[in-house]
Amino acid sequence: MDDVAIKIIDILKRHMKNPRDDITLETPLLDLEIESLDLAMIVFDVEDTFGIEIPYNANEEEVGDFKTVGSVTDRVRMLVEAKAAKAAGGEAEGAALQGA
Amino acid sequence: MCGQRRVVVTGTGAVTPIGNDVETFWSSLKEGKSGLGTVEIKDFPQELANELQIKIGCQVKDFDPKARIKNRLAQLADRYSHFAVAAAAEAFAQSKLETPLKNPYRSACIIGSGAGGLNTIEYAYSQLFTTNRRAGDPLMLLKFIGSSAAAHVGIDYGIKGPTFGTVSACATASHAIGLLYQYIKNGMVDVGVAGASESALSYGSMKAWQAMRVLSPDGCFPFSKKRNGTVLAEGAGVMVMEDLEHAKARGANILAEVKGFGMASDAKDMVNPTLEGPQEAMRQALEDAGLAPCDIDYLNAHGTATKLNDVNETRAIRSVFGNATGKLAVSSTKSMTGHLLGASGGVEAIACVKAIQDGFVPATIGLTEADPECDLDYTPNVGRAKRITHAMSNSFAFGGLNAVLVFGPSPA
Repeated sequence: MDDVAIKIIDILKRHMKNPRDDITLETPLLDLEIESLDLAMIVFDVEDTFGIEIPYNANEEEVGDFKTVGSVTDRVRMLVEAKAAKAAGGEAEGAALQGA
Repeated sequence: MCGQRRVVVTGTGAVTPIGNDVETFWSSLKEGKSGLGTVEIKDFPQELANELQIKIGCQVKDFDPKARIKNRLAQLADRYSHFAVAAAAEAFAQSKLETPLKNPYRSACIIGSGAGGLNTIEYAYSQLFTTNRRAGDPLMLLKFIGSSAAAHVGIDYGIKGPTFGTVSACATASHAIGLLYQYIKNGMVDVGVAGASESALSYGSMKAWQAMRVLSPDGCFPFSKKRNGTVLAEGAGVMVMEDLEHAKARGANILAEVKGFGMASDAKDMVNPTLEGPQEAMRQALEDAGLAPCDIDYLNAHGTATKLNDVNETRAIRSVFGNATGKLAVSSTKSMTGHLLGASGGVEAIACVKAIQDGFVPATIGLTEADPECDLDYTPNVGRAKRITHAMSNSFAFGGLNAVLVFGPSPA
């Protein structure tokens, strides 16, 4: 489990009615008894922790759509990487302009 | 029922994203016009506004408080009060009631709001916390409390009887109208004004709503397969109502009758609706009106375009109306106005009154492909002429607060 997964599991535990210590990447989200409002709060916390924006709409996706904890960490990892790539692209562009 | 007082509507007033008066609002509804646009937050840094994930909303356009509001202190009030005062002025003008009212203690003013003076409080606190000003604004309290609009309107018309605001999120206006209806019916007052106003399209409010993840980035498409959330709007809707005999005695022009009111709560969840609460509220409204389901010709749905509401409301309507569902025309005018939150019940009540008067069912626009689970006649895309004797208006709010009104034609 990498840093992203550890932080996410921490956030999930903080928002569960009965936090468990045995959560793994394979744990189905539905098993964690997370309701729609919990999910809104979890998404908010994740956005804050990782400095990303998660385009999640409660009308289009439900807790069940995320399947496992692993699918959540995958999504977050993708967004973190996309954000880093965008920033790096911006820096490279800036450096190129300066060089020119 | 024999011996019971009857309650009629003698004035309506509205400020909406598709018209700042009732006639313009109703024409827009008939034409299928949408009030959707990019939200412009006045005096607000564009860089911050650009960061909003959801940039759309339905705002009131070209509203000038100085032109619409006479009282100086009311001119200084929060935008939510401005809408209420302007709408009340239109309603009272239409009613031709002599004001200040002749028997002031026999009149009431019930004008609610979901959030009250949110714009004021946001601005005042931003000044207090970010610029270390010694206070937000000396008038801040008077402007932001949820009773300001009711107080301003009461002052304008000399209303000395029950004067206060209701607060029940999206059911606010319906509760206000329902309570005034009950006060008149039970003989507490003879005349009054009721409804609600909302202006909650501030930066903080947009951020707060976005965090709940129920807003659509695309538009408000009630009952549609593509629906993906609601769209915020602002405005006000109020009605002047009176005892039938009181109206007849002064030769008033009666627009419609308020025939029934039902209120029932889910007592279950803050966001997920039950079937039972909405069913019971509709059933109570029919019973109070002394009507059967087949007597309702038009139902103005709550229809917020969230995944949950629309399918739940469809099921609730089907279960209450049974065999009469087939002949019922339904529509969600939120497809055009957006969700006016606390004020939605007010403008929707007015839509019902106009629908009865004009014999016209406004459409649910944007309904290109219906969700198979939403299988009622939602009057897709284009409104239609239909003789409407009775209309019902549904309001189902966060927390499972349900209020339903039934309107009928003028008894005169």
